[in-house]
Amino acid sequence: MSDTSVQMNEKKAMSKQHAKPSGQGLPAWWLVLIRELADLWVGGKALNLMLIYSVIMGIMVYVFSSNSELSLIPPKESVYETLKNAMAISLFIGLIIGADSLSGERDRATLESLLLTPISRRQIMVGKFLAGISQWPVAFVIVMPFMNLLSQGDEILLPAFFWGAVTGTALVVAYTGLGMLVSFWSASNKTSYFISLGIYILFLVPAQLPGRAQTGATGQFLQWVNPLAAVNHFLSKHLVNYEPVSLFWTWLVPPGAFALLVIILLLFYAGPGLRLEAGNKSWAWLKKLSRIMGLATILGLVLAFCVSAFPALAGSQAQTQSIESTDLQITIDLDAVVVKTSDKVEYHTVVTNNGTEASAPLIVAMNVVNLDAQGDTVDPEDWSPKRTQYIASLAPGESISLDWVINTILDGNYMVYMVLIPTPSNSEATSQPLATSGIHLTVTPFTRLNPRGVLPYAIGGPLLLLVIIFYVYRRRNQQIDMGGSA
Amino acid sequence: MTTSSNAQPTNSANVLVAEDLRKSYGPRRALQGLSFTLKAGRILGFLGPNGAGKTTSIRILTTMMEPEAGHFTIDGIPSDRPEEIRRRIGVLPENLGFPRQMTGLEYLTYYGQLYGRTAVEAREYGLMLLEDVGLQQRGKSLIGSYSHGMRQRIGIARALVNDPVVVFLDEPTLGLDPRGQLELLELIEQIAQERGTGVVLCSHLLTEIEKVCDDVVILNLGQIVARGSVAEVIGRVQRNIVLRNTLRLQVPPAAVLEARQILEAMPNIVKVTPMGEMEGWLEIEPMEPSNGNPPTAYQLNNKILSALIRAKIPILSFGVEGGRLQDVFLHLTEESIK
Repeated sequence: MSDTSVQMNEKKAMSKQHAKPSGQGLPAWWLVLIRELADLWVGGKALNLMLIYSVIMGIMVYVFSSNSELSLIPPKESVYETLKNAMAISLFIGLIIGADSLSGERDRATLESLLLTPISRRQIMVGKFLAGISQWPVAFVIVMPFMNLLSQGDEILLPAFFWGAVTGTALVVAYTGLGMLVSFWSASNKTSYFISLGIYILFLVPAQLPGRAQTGATGQFLQWVNPLAAVNHFLSKHLVNYEPVSLFWTWLVPPGAFALLVIILLLFYAGPGLRLEAGNKSWAWLKKLSRIMGLATILGLVLAFCVSAFPALAGSQAQTQSIESTDLQITIDLDAVVVKTSDKVEYHTVVTNNGTEASAPLIVAMNVVNLDAQGDTVDPEDWSPKRTQYIASLAPGESISLDWVINTILDGNYMVYMVLIPTPSNSEATSQPLATSGIHLTVTPFTRLNPRGVLPYAIGGPLLLLVIIFYVYRRRNQQIDMGGSA
Repeated sequence: MTTSSNAQPTNSANVLVAEDLRKSYGPRRALQGLSFTLKAGRILGFLGPNGAGKTTSIRILTTMMEPEAGHFTIDGIPSDRPEEIRRRIGVLPENLGFPRQMTGLEYLTYYGQLYGRTAVEAREYGLMLLEDVGLQQRGKSLIGSYSHGMRQRIGIARALVNDPVVVFLDEPTLGLDPRGQLELLELIEQIAQERGTGVVLCSHLLTEIEKVCDDVVILNLGQIVARGSVAEVIGRVQRNIVLRNTLRLQVPPAAVLEARQILEAMPNIVKVTPMGEMEGWLEIEPMEPSNGNPPTAYQLNNKILSALIRAKIPILSFGVEGGRLQDVFLHLTEESIK
């Protein structure tokens, strides 16, 4: 027998040996996961999104640190804000990846060949879902050095890492799964993206409403049922205000329940029902859903506005009251000062009771007026950790000295003055506030080039990702034959 | 082509049996009782005009859609066990999309693994399939760089990764140049002959169906209007319709006038016409057979040839128009085309 015929026989024998699948392969969900991960990370989509994410985070954190106003925010609040922003961007990325997962394959006509295999639809869903949430660990690792820098050694860092990982994972699971559900129901990728974007805005907008809109029973409830707002509230209370978890654990219920519901729908509804076409009925249903969502967004905004405006309307009802006389005096120990932005200015006020009777309870309040902006008032909350001080009472002839600190945030000319307010004795009476002489505060600009050491990370992170992308592409190109089109 | 031993039902065994399949889209009945069988190693041409129900049939038979009534078996597996059926079929859908960022080998390896092969098995089998479909030189190229013909080939290779018992090919030659069409048809014949796989071939190119298919099913308005071997279908239809075949023959240009005179003088010839710019060609329109019997028409053909031979006129070419699958198809689907 010739060598050639021996080789052919060997080849045929091998063919026979491997003709039937052995059935010893890996689980289908794992194969789909590996394929999807390769598509996302080697194909470049996820890497490119991560590059954009790292650039946005770098700019955000740099601005956070270099901006004279924002840089005065305490470390724990800086860490919280950075984590919040990182999560918001990651959720968007998760939603986009989820929204493309099924309708994108329908558009590209690649879903049919996957559905023609004997693997269960649920395993396809599991593989795609796990690949979709793979971006979150990477995004979290990218933001960790920024959080570390901004914390400046504050003890908030470890709890922020822990709760950021826990709540971020729950939200990314929920958002990515929701994107996949939308993709499951959508006949085209455009529809899927459009609805997913609507959902993102629907959840994001209420969390961005002014503080007053988020207070009161209605505001609190609206915040609680919104998983993103609930997580933000929990992190804010626990990380910034050091409130114990036991007081606010209920705010973790909505994101957890949301994530659980989405997983159940994915595995037990969408998984078994995955098919080639989204179907006409689903299309009509989606149209209705998008209309309802749009309406709900508008209603939510109107409601939030009403909640916000109501207290202001109530407070506008003026009353005629009698003015009580006073023998009180307030003095200040500084008249003019020139400083740079971010400098601290310290001064004292002395309050004296020159009368013959003990005074009513007293409040001393700080006021800052911008002289360069036609007298616009400046919110003292941003300028000083302690804007008012309370004095229970002053005995006749008694004096009390009060310490004050101003953090100069923005450059410009300001007038700082203090007001002493005696508390009226009853609801029918009022009192005469007393003002001190002003402190003419001149703040000159000052910018640090590398605030809090953020710059190397802000530039280095994206650069490192670029290097990784370049390496991945280069390695991929080495694996394939780059022959042109036939 | 690599010979595989897997799709081994004997050539007499039915690998696909469809019985009374029905499907409607709202008020429109897309399928009205589809029944047919396919034996191992044979190629079944699945024909019909647009909207005849071909795609619906293929979707049902490949478990992508459920019928409202009726059932089918593939390799003896009933249609209520779709996952088992999917293990035994290979499908090349019409307008199949491909992942542009995967190489041909990666694509076949991935799908091989999805059918239960280990990574090593799937890769080895993928390499063999690439060789079978003539893509061994481009296995490591991205599918995005493939031509349309190469994509159809890799699609057929993907349909074979599980060594199926039945393969469904929906318009596999669509968009290919003549050489590409010919090569792909040869590949399909090889699949059926060497693997013993039953092939269901949907196509609008009737000449290719006639060339490669053993059997044919013609669908019209959701119903089967003809079924059987290609020769049977053509013969049966010819017997059922009144034959008025047009004959065409070619003689030397110098003999055209003499040939025309001889033919016009014959009984049962209605008209003899020179074919315009085609020098030497004559078109002969015979009279309708009085008893509607095809043998009468065949005898007339012999008489025409005998008369010309007796007159020592060389016959360069002779053909009967109207006896091809295309004519049968047009006749049977005339109603829906109108």
